[in-house]
Amino acid sequence: MSQISWLIALIPALPLVGFLVNAFLVRNERANGIIASASVLAAFAVTVAAVANLAMLEEDARRISVTLWEWIAVGKLNISIGLLFDPLTAVMTLLVTGVGALIHIFSISYMHHDTRPARYFAYLNLFVFSMLMLVMADNLLLLFLGWEGVGLCSFLLIGHWFERKNVAPGIVPSEAATKAFVVNRIGDAGLLLAMLLLVSRFGTLSFYGIDGVSGYLSQIAEGSFTFVNMGIFGSVAVISAVAMLMLLGVVGKSAQFPLFVWLPDAMAGPTPVSALIHAATMVTAGVYLIVRNHGIFDLAPDATWWVVTLGSLTALIGASAAVTQFDIKRVLAYSTISQLGFMIVAVGIGAYTAAIFHLLTHGLFKALLFLGSGAIIHGLHDVQDMRRMGGLRKSMPTVYRVYIIGALALAGIFPFAGFWSKDEIIAYAWYFNQNHTTAIMLIFSSLLTAFYMGRQVALTFEGESRDTDLHAHEHLGSMKWPLYLLAFGAIVGGILNIPGIHWLHDWLHPVLHEEVELFTWQMGIFAGITTILAAGSGYLGYWLYSRVLPDQIKSGEEDPAHYYLGDIWKGLELGWGIDYAYNRLIVKPYRHLAEFLHTVVDRQAIDGILVEGSARVMGRLAGFGAQGQNGNVRTYALVFLIGVVIVIGYVVIGA
Amino acid sequence: MDLVIFSITAIIAIIGAVAMLVSRNAVHSALFLLLNLGAISVLFLLLQAPFLFAVQLIVYAGAIIVLFLFVVMLLGAERDEDGADPVRWQVPTAVVMAALLIGQVIYVFVTEPTATADSVNTNISEGFGSPTQIAQALFTTHLYHLKSPHSCCSLP
Amino acid sequence: MVPTFLYIGLSALLFTIGVLGVLLRRSALMVFMSIELMLNSANLALVTFANEWQSIDAQIMVFFVITIAAAEVAVGLALLVMIFRRRQSTNIDAMTTLKG
Repeated sequence: MSQISWLIALIPALPLVGFLVNAFLVRNERANGIIASASVLAAFAVTVAAVANLAMLEEDARRISVTLWEWIAVGKLNISIGLLFDPLTAVMTLLVTGVGALIHIFSISYMHHDTRPARYFAYLNLFVFSMLMLVMADNLLLLFLGWEGVGLCSFLLIGHWFERKNVAPGIVPSEAATKAFVVNRIGDAGLLLAMLLLVSRFGTLSFYGIDGVSGYLSQIAEGSFTFVNMGIFGSVAVISAVAMLMLLGVVGKSAQFPLFVWLPDAMAGPTPVSALIHAATMVTAGVYLIVRNHGIFDLAPDATWWVVTLGSLTALIGASAAVTQFDIKRVLAYSTISQLGFMIVAVGIGAYTAAIFHLLTHGLFKALLFLGSGAIIHGLHDVQDMRRMGGLRKSMPTVYRVYIIGALALAGIFPFAGFWSKDEIIAYAWYFNQNHTTAIMLIFSSLLTAFYMGRQVALTFEGESRDTDLHAHEHLGSMKWPLYLLAFGAIVGGILNIPGIHWLHDWLHPVLHEEVELFTWQMGIFAGITTILAAGSGYLGYWLYSRVLPDQIKSGEEDPAHYYLGDIWKGLELGWGIDYAYNRLIVKPYRHLAEFLHTVVDRQAIDGILVEGSARVMGRLAGFGAQGQNGNVRTYALVFLIGVVIVIGYVVIGA
Repeated sequence: MDLVIFSITAIIAIIGAVAMLVSRNAVHSALFLLLNLGAISVLFLLLQAPFLFAVQLIVYAGAIIVLFLFVVMLLGAERDEDGADPVRWQVPTAVVMAALLIGQVIYVFVTEPTATADSVNTNISEGFGSPTQIAQALFTTHLYHLKSPHSCCSLP
Repeated sequence: MVPTFLYIGLSALLFTIGVLGVLLRRSALMVFMSIELMLNSANLALVTFANEWQSIDAQIMVFFVITIAAAEVAVGLALLVMIFRRRQSTNIDAMTTLKG
């Protein structure tokens, strides 16, 4: 292997080593944190080196496959543990290791005095390893391994405080973890079926193949694909079927409508976990999957219609639900759902670079916001309810400053990172895709985004403290530098793909082959209008909740807007009642069915008749036989005599 | 003449056996057993086994029955089986099996012509069953059986 | 002369009575006595055949049987005395320690 191959193999290996060391060897909180952070930081450094190496290659040669060893070789199917390093992977890897390292460092202080630091940091490292496998895999099965790995880590980390029975607002961590796991499985089934279909049609799961032509993406690009016969449902193009099944996986993993319900509950985990898994990296796996398989989606317009529809719906639902939340992390959770909707819309309309661009900037500023809220929660000793906050501007000046930056970036205010990436998506939808409905939905969502961020900032930082029991203190420790760095990223992140510079576009060109859109002055005006609207909406939220309504906000009471909007507000607060519908339509009938099977089939039929019944029959038979074994010598002698009579009878009569 | 003696003696033996079986008192049973053994010893005499006749009387009547009586009286266990039989099907099954056993013997007598054909040997040799002859056989032919416990314990 | 089958029939009858005694009587003493009766009926059959074939070997066998019966009774009654001292009974139905 060449030098760069070694570098590439080292990237996932470092967090894995960190995981193993933390899980099995080290039992010291401080050492756990340092080892975990160091391993991811080292992985980041290695990634930077690898990317630098990659950048030195010719543009067409920027795809390095490293086959570590052969994994599965059955018949024609040949799956290797192989790493792929191309510009797209490089971007994702930089995000995962970079933001991941910052969050690891943040965790050292945040998880101080936790009861299970070794477990926490080990899982965090395992998560980074899984995510790296996901983005670096050179075939779909290895990607799926990472995909499941991050799902597992998500489960483990959401349930980190499994012994707590109630984390605000009324979530049980163990149940939230199970919910995340189960809902994710639905999506995973789709991805699994997609893989089976690909194997049956193309005989390989490798993206491009070791030679660059044998992989299924290469084969599809050549145009060799057929139809799937679905019996009475007619036939459907393989490409469309694969795309739809993959979309199901994406909907589960990236928390899209209608499977986003797990993500708000996932806030039961420690806040750095929310930042790492549920904002910056894991949930973006779906976006990565579609971008990686963009060759499939390009050829399946019927599937991309669904992608766009689900994405825009999700953006709207997430943003509107975020407006109504009182839990500081739930606002951000719904915001994440909404922003993921933006990314999914972007990949649906073919703006892959924009999707990745938004993925990157969102990873930065959402991690910043989550870590900022984590610092607040830490400072307030696990209070997450914004109704009890207020006035934190004075007691937490540092957090206030970085939080404002994150909020502005998320709201899409010029010139912060979110402005560039979000407006690129909206502009693409409006101008290049001519999909005005979607664009308007996105604009409306982004206005809501600005509104709820204004509301959140106002509720959290402005005015006076609404809960006199709270004694806020700002003690950041190792949390400080990650916040600063992420804030820096949130400010300048947009420079990656500013119209006219478009570094990211050029960098991803070998993978995506997208031409740079021409920047026109109409687009500038369009962006200006959306920004002004967003700024206005944001200020409206800020003004309403810091000047007009603050007196009416009390701990434990409904939002004043509930008075005007009533059940609509309540429905928004419940995430459009999707959870409720699931409970009614699936969970409850399922429970009833399980109850029926338990009491009737299991208890009565299987236990009663088959198990206990057969036992009773055998018991009776045994009791009958045991009468001969009564321990009575005379009975034994009688049996002896019976034997004698039979033998003599056989000798004198039978023979 | 022999047949008369045999008949009387056999009846006495059967009576003794049955009475032993049915009497509730263990002392009575022992005494009926003694009657039975005495009758059988008379039959030994009829069958040209005078030495065994003597041994039977001396060992059984003189030793074993006395031992039985001694133990019964020592333990005071003359009546030790009052109450119903705990195993209900023991008695009927035992009677049926005993009847089958007798039936098999009768079956053999009825179906095998040779079983009832010949009679007791009339060619009576002089001194058959006498102590002399028995001692001779015992200490020559059956010496090994006689000495085996002794010889195995005193190997050079 | 008395035919052999009568002796054999008598021997079988006595043996059966002895079997019944073993099976029906519940006192260990009675069981022992019944066993003696069975041994004796066997002795009678042996002596009968010895007379029929004019062979002294069967009589030797009877001699051994009587000897062994005496020894067996001595040992058996000693055991019985020990059991009685422990359980205050010679009822063999009470001895069901081997019951499964």
